[in-house]
Amino acid sequence: MPFSNEEILGFVQTTIGEGLVHSSEPFDFLTIEVKPESLLHLVGSLKNHPQYQFTFMTDLCGVHLPEQKGKELGAVYLFHSWTTNTRIRVKTFAPIENPSIPSMTAHFNSANWMERETYDFYGINFTGHPNLVRILNVDDMDYFPMRKEYPLEDQVRRDKVDSMFGR
Amino acid sequence: MIDTNQPAPPGLEGPGFFATSMDKVVGLARKNSLWPLPFATSCCGIEFMATAASHYDIARFGSERPSFSPRQADLLMVMGTIAKKMGPVLRMTYEQMAEPRWVIAVGACASSGGIFDTYSVLQGIDRIIPVDVYVPGCPPRPEQIIEGLLKIQELAANETTRRRDTEEYKALLESYSIS
Amino acid sequence: MVLLDAYLPSDFLPVVVQFGLAIGFVIVTMLVTHSIGPKNRGKVKDQQWECGIESVGDARAPISVKYFLVAILFVLFDVEIIFMYPWAVNFKQLGWVGFVEMIIFMGILLGGFYYIIRKGVLNWD
Repeated sequence: MPFSNEEILGFVQTTIGEGLVHSSEPFDFLTIEVKPESLLHLVGSLKNHPQYQFTFMTDLCGVHLPEQKGKELGAVYLFHSWTTNTRIRVKTFAPIENPSIPSMTAHFNSANWMERETYDFYGINFTGHPNLVRILNVDDMDYFPMRKEYPLEDQVRRDKVDSMFGR
Repeated sequence: MIDTNQPAPPGLEGPGFFATSMDKVVGLARKNSLWPLPFATSCCGIEFMATAASHYDIARFGSERPSFSPRQADLLMVMGTIAKKMGPVLRMTYEQMAEPRWVIAVGACASSGGIFDTYSVLQGIDRIIPVDVYVPGCPPRPEQIIEGLLKIQELAANETTRRRDTEEYKALLESYSIS
Repeated sequence: MVLLDAYLPSDFLPVVVQFGLAIGFVIVTMLVTHSIGPKNRGKVKDQQWECGIESVGDARAPISVKYFLVAILFVLFDVEIIFMYPWAVNFKQLGWVGFVEMIIFMGILLGGFYYIIRKGVLNWD
């Protein structure tokens, strides 16, 4: 029996208070945005809560929203409780100049590779990660491909015939 | 059109014997026993599985024993998208094959990167290894893969016995910086 | 007993020739193909095949001694059993003396067997 969104939201507010920036319920899915400093404490309390038991991290992914100045790069976590069938989405954002978010490997071992992938594509530095290196791209790549700051095509390529590509 | 019922090479025939030049005999032997190394990465690999199965059999053309080690393979069949991270692996596989060796690039991704014109995909394996035959398609039908194999057979039949000692081959490997 | 139709050692010469030809063929083909065949060595080509990546470390690893002990004990007791085959064939002719000799032979080996069991060699772990 899933716990209601209001109850979980109330628990979150009592746990981290000021750390909760924003909350909403798109399609009845409780979504909260928290500050990076209070992330670990919140996730630990949710995971170890005797009734809620959010012991499964469904997903961890990165987001780049260039319009939100000061909070461009973010990580989105989905947590699920198998015993009570409750789900929650937690978002944190960090500025693009020095993006650093605490690592979730303290609570979930599956976060290890997922954070490496998020680092590989967005450049978010997860503090406390045991081995934060690129996982899917070549090791000597010096940019982060999924950020929205690159043009759609490489302007200096010479090996594609322009006429056949509609240019 | 490839003729699969080819006549014997020119030579001296008689009752119970046939004499021809050494090159032709070696070419005949090589062409009818090309053991492939299926470097199957994605969808074209599935088409290769269909080609190697009983319906479109490539074993009837001599490719009876696919080997996943380059030491005993003649033909490197690269089938599927090769990412930039996979490039060094493919190159080392090619370098550790023993001569005579041929390479066939099956599918659009192996020939030129296919539809994946992106930061992570190698735009054609001929950027890192020399390729003999390209089979376009996404994925190519088994009949097309067989035609590619038959073209490799033509190359193998007409090649000199010691191509590895020729200047042309050495220059080719030099151009890819393969020592 | 007089052996009437014995084979002279020189009658076995064809066997020796055949054996020599077989071994010679193997040696000659191996040496000649290695010497006149083409070689194309290369630094990367001669490395170990580790599915296209750099190989790490050596493949040598120490093996537990229990495998050797089991194998060598099998050989010993198998040879003992082989000695019992001619005894079984010539049982009557050897008589009481032969019987006692064989019992002493087996007793020595069984003493060794008792020592092995008490030492715990046959314990697999």
